Amino acid sequence: MGDLKPWLKLIFKRPGRLVVGGVLILATLLSGVGLLAVSGWFITETALVGMLLAAGVAASINLYVPGGAIRFFAVSRTVFRYLERVYNHDTVLRLLTDIRVALFQSLASAGRSHRQELTGAQWLSRLTSDVDALDTLYLRLIAPTALAALVTVLVVILTAVLFDMRTATLVGLVLLVAFLSATIGTYLRTRHLAARQSERQESLRNAVIEHIEGFAELTAAGRTGKHAAWLMRQAHQVTSEQAQADTRAGWHLAGAHLMINLSAVLALWAGFALFRAGVVSGPVLVLLPIALLGLAEIYAMLPDAFGKLGATQASANRLNRDCREEQSTASTVPLDLPSNTDLLATNLAVKHAGYAPLFTHFNLEVKSGERVGIVGHSGSGKSSLADVFAGLLPPAQGKLARKDRVYLTQKTVLFEDTLRANLLIGSPNASETELWRILEVVELAERFSSEPDRLDTWLGSSGSRLSGGEARRVALARVLLNPAPVVILDEPFTGLDAKTRTRIAKRMNSLMEGKTVISLAHGPDALPDTDRVIHLTG
Amino acid sequence: MAETGDINSPTSQQAVRQWLSQLARGNRLWIRSTVAAGIVAGIATILQMVFLARIIHLGVIGEVPVADLTPLFLWLILAIITRAMAQGFQTRLAARCSEQVRRDARRQIHKHWQATGPVALGQSSAGTLAREWIDHVEALHGYFARFLPQMMLSVVVPLLILVLVFWLDWLAGVFLLLSAPLIPLFMALVGMGAEKLNQQHFETISRLSGQFLDKVRGLTTLQLFGQTTGATELIRKRSDHYRCITMKTLRVAFLSSAVLEFFASVAIAVIAIYIGFGLLGYITYGPSEELTLYSGLLILLLAPEFFQPLRTLSQHYHDRAAALGAGAEILERLTTPVDSHRQLPEIADSGSARDVIELDSVSVAFRANQDVLRDVSLVVAKGEVIALAGPSGGGKSTLLHLLAGFMSPDGGSIQLFGEPPGSFHFGWLGQKGFLVQGTWADNLRLTTPDASDIAIDTALRNVGLGPLLDSRLEGICSPVSEDGQGLSGGQARRLSLARIFLADYDLILLDEPTAGLDSDSEVFVLEALHKLALAGKTLIFSTHHHALFALANRVLLVSGGEVRIG
Repeated sequence: MGDLKPWLKLIFKRPGRLVVGGVLILATLLSGVGLLAVSGWFITETALVGMLLAAGVAASINLYVPGGAIRFFAVSRTVFRYLERVYNHDTVLRLLTDIRVALFQSLASAGRSHRQELTGAQWLSRLTSDVDALDTLYLRLIAPTALAALVTVLVVILTAVLFDMRTATLVGLVLLVAFLSATIGTYLRTRHLAARQSERQESLRNAVIEHIEGFAELTAAGRTGKHAAWLMRQAHQVTSEQAQADTRAGWHLAGAHLMINLSAVLALWAGFALFRAGVVSGPVLVLLPIALLGLAEIYAMLPDAFGKLGATQASANRLNRDCREEQSTASTVPLDLPSNTDLLATNLAVKHAGYAPLFTHFNLEVKSGERVGIVGHSGSGKSSLADVFAGLLPPAQGKLARKDRVYLTQKTVLFEDTLRANLLIGSPNASETELWRILEVVELAERFSSEPDRLDTWLGSSGSRLSGGEARRVALARVLLNPAPVVILDEPFTGLDAKTRTRIAKRMNSLMEGKTVISLAHGPDALPDTDRVIHLTG
Repeated sequence: MAETGDINSPTSQQAVRQWLSQLARGNRLWIRSTVAAGIVAGIATILQMVFLARIIHLGVIGEVPVADLTPLFLWLILAIITRAMAQGFQTRLAARCSEQVRRDARRQIHKHWQATGPVALGQSSAGTLAREWIDHVEALHGYFARFLPQMMLSVVVPLLILVLVFWLDWLAGVFLLLSAPLIPLFMALVGMGAEKLNQQHFETISRLSGQFLDKVRGLTTLQLFGQTTGATELIRKRSDHYRCITMKTLRVAFLSSAVLEFFASVAIAVIAIYIGFGLLGYITYGPSEELTLYSGLLILLLAPEFFQPLRTLSQHYHDRAAALGAGAEILERLTTPVDSHRQLPEIADSGSARDVIELDSVSVAFRANQDVLRDVSLVVAKGEVIALAGPSGGGKSTLLHLLAGFMSPDGGSIQLFGEPPGSFHFGWLGQKGFLVQGTWADNLRLTTPDASDIAIDTALRNVGLGPLLDSRLEGICSPVSEDGQGLSGGQARRLSLARIFLADYDLILLDEPTAGLDSDSEVFVLEALHKLALAGKTLIFSTHHHALFALANRVLLVSGGEVRIG
């Protein structure tokens, strides 16, 4: 349960909404139970009075109170149901916002390195489904459980008041079994199956992707059939475990209903003894079993929700893991830099966890205002080196000291937003003129001044409405806007032809006057102007 | 979730429904047993109410002592137990049914993959195909396990109740029946509401997730610029904005289920009051004079059960929408016509020589008047090493695909060692190496299941993976890597090459074996190909690489639909 704690805390930050939502559900449920119970009472009463009347005995009956109650419950059940659904779905959507915001905040403060361990698209879609599992926790699990318990207690108290303590205790015990079977029982019996589901499905997905990627090789070797049969078995295992969990939840629901029905029978049996003894009247004798039968509807949601609790916990666990704090790496603490030096790397080792080091004993001193080019073929580890310079990757050994930096990563990352919003990330307070000036530098000013929305042009998901070269230039512009004294550029001109590259490099020269620039590329011709070039030999 | 294709167009929806019912037909037995269990549960419920009303009537009106009621109590308990058992079996059978259906659907999709072949399959991303095979098939679960059986039950069970109520008191039956013509109306209302709800829900969720994921994807960038706080605010604002829009739709959509709820409640109330007045003798017409506590109470107890199946159905309505959405995408894949180039001709042995590869006036055109290969005739002797050169798009890959049997020519015939292409096993090396999660040994045994450890070790050393292997603790039994990060592209391709070494094929086809490799890997691949050539294998590869031309006995230039000696 510990996995759910931070998320439950988040959910319970809105106690007012949760209570109002709960009260609305309670009103709905009580209206339903009330409608049937009062109707049963009414019919029995009228049957008894009717018999007296038929026998010629004078008898009177108050028709208005039960008649009114029946009509009231019929309407209130509908109205409360509608209000409850609207109100609680609103709550769920609010919780969804809360959870997303909280998750984003903790992801932002968590380390980057283990985020990279996870493969992009799949991790992102998993994140979505894990969040979805949590946002319905209140509506699917917490509220129904709390209300089922509350209504059960109310019915037991009603039994004690109308019948006697002994019957109430017995009925209470039977209902307790029903409650435990529908909740904890289901959870315990499905926990392991449900928790494994997501992981099983992920490894199945990897296997399917591998199968498709190797389809040509497997076809050539005549092994597609065999390998597919293996995949089918894996898939079957996943579905049959799921079917098993479903079946167990189904049996627990049936069990809970059985207990509820038995409690009604028990109440009726005990009620007859009291009826014969004259303690309770006929109509009251009928009212209680019918009210007990009404509990079935309240319990119906529970086993399904508890059957999924194991999976929800696994989701929470994964989210917690994704958000765990990075152990602080002290190696990027700014040391005292010699004067006139903007970056100093001493005896640096660059290494990804679990792999052989890419560099050892790497030394570099970059003077203020110096322009250093670093050239190495793809796979030589220059992007990792850039990550170390920028502080994204802690050095495995050695020391790194540098001034404030801005970093253009090798991968172009744009947001599903306007051009303006994307540029302002580089410098939130930049004026309109500054934005146009920087677009001028990367030769995009003309392109966007002809767009109807100009700076507010929508760039689409990951800048999908731009060509690769255009997207790269927007990312470059964003970096150039930033005032940091050290600029690290990893393959700044990807996707640009030689002529454009030269022109942009020239304009950058004047713009970056006085800044320290470290640029990395696969060849010298892909670099902006430099004072010196270092060649990496991997 | 589902990128909605055109699932709303009536024709495609009909096709999807047809496909779903086809799947259902294949698993008729399971669906029928599920429904049967549901009907047993329904009948047990009716009997439970009958005994309950009977006991109350006898006890309260007839003042029969409790002891005399014992047999009835036992019958009541029996009915309750039967009901629970049937209910349990219903979920069990429904789960089995959906399990079978999903297995069938997966089999169908895989069959289609096989028919499509590696070349055409490569046009779709592996992620998309995997999603269809896993997630879209999973989305059929609710439809077959819950919606479909419930649909039949929501007809049968209310009908049974209606008959009984009519027999008890026809006027009360009329009340229920009056709501019966409303039922299809309810269904339509609920359906429309649920469908709209579902669409809106999916749309909002996916849009919202899109926005959220976009920010998470670019989190490193935001961190680099110190802009995470602003992004958090933006997520909050956008998310809240979507909530407002969604709630507008939901307020309307929930009305339809409120209507169902309202009619059910009102019907119960009307029946309760009618019976009450009837029992008092206030109603002087119709059958109400014959009402007793037994029949009155029974009708009241049955009234909610009359509506319950319908309410359950409305809860499962979203399962139908999900299945239709997923089904549409699966069906689109299944109905993608298999390229004409995949109809493998079954040529009887034409008696061509057993030790040559022979192409006889082979033509391939992907579009009319645009021959990729035109009347190509070619003979390659066993043990020859052939390099295919030429511009990209010139037909080198097509020629390799023809030889591999991944596609068939529009005209002419191909014989490999006296057999049609694809009829025997051979080595294929694509541009991307292929590895599965698992150990080195697992990866090599994928194509040669009975290889010995020593043979595997030798094969890996043959492609220069020896040093890497030595650095791993458990040699060939250590895992290759987690999610492929441990191997570079070159190393992965060498792993694939090791499979070819292990399997000892006569013919080996390679598509640009050295393209995009780092210099280390390049040397190893060249060396390995040299070894294979020395071992007398027939090697045919496409390449731009000069070192590989040197390896070949012959260099053929594939260009403009022709194959010439280069």
